[in-house]
Amino acid sequence: MDPDAVAKAFVDHYYSTFDANRAGLGNLYQEGSMLTFEGQKIQGSQSIVAKLTSLPFQQCKHNITTVDCQPSGAGGMLVFVSGTLQLAGEQHALKFSQMFHLMPTPQGSFYVLNDIFRLNYT
Amino acid sequence: MDPDAVAKAFVDHYYSTFDANRAGLGNLYQEGSMLTFEGQKIQGSQSIVAKLTSLPFQQCKHNITTVDCQPSGAGGVLVFVSGTLQLSGEQHALKFSQMFHLMPTPQGSFYVLNDIFRLNYA
Repeated sequence: MDPDAVAKAFVDHYYSTFDANRAGLGNLYQEGSMLTFEGQKIQGSQSIVAKLTSLPFQQCKHNITTVDCQPSGAGGMLVFVSGTLQLAGEQHALKFSQMFHLMPTPQGSFYVLNDIFRLNYT
Repeated sequence: MDPDAVAKAFVDHYYSTFDANRAGLGNLYQEGSMLTFEGQKIQGSQSIVAKLTSLPFQQCKHNITTVDCQPSGAGGVLVFVSGTLQLSGEQHALKFSQMFHLMPTPQGSFYVLNDIFRLNYA
């Protein structure tokens, strides 16, 4: 498993899914998954998808600036992302940082065990 | 183990040590520890401390804005920090984001297994 390749593939898939159809993110999380979104703690795939699909915008576009990754031990992968988030109708893009802890599935894929998202205010 | 308490104690200790005496960070890392500093990958306590003590400034002060944490599985804690970094002599503070993956030691403390640091450019 090449961590950099896994991280790149995951980041591409995650943000393109987020931008096209946030409800489609459900299969990237499991029951024990945790999301902290701007300080709010949410657990479990269902609640996480409910939170993401209820965010107050219709359309958005993530532009990724940096992706760093490291193996976390026990076959897991840490991915640290920074970029901008353009909301439809807003003049200025928001800056954000996000970290994911990916764990392998028996089928040879990865799911998100830990997810922490923060906007970077200027 | 209360992740929030561990995270807060660690963040206080890490940045006060960094700001007072970067060489003192050595006992927070072990041989298998990994640091990615602005995209540069470094492994092992010795190399990590060498990198941090060679950063091109004498004095600095970290001001922490947000700290988020989650249990990572296998007794570990993920800590996601954002804040500003004021270098002595510089007019404007730099913004940064950093994530740590802390693992327990047999003595009941924690060490840094994974560390990723990125400046957030305006």
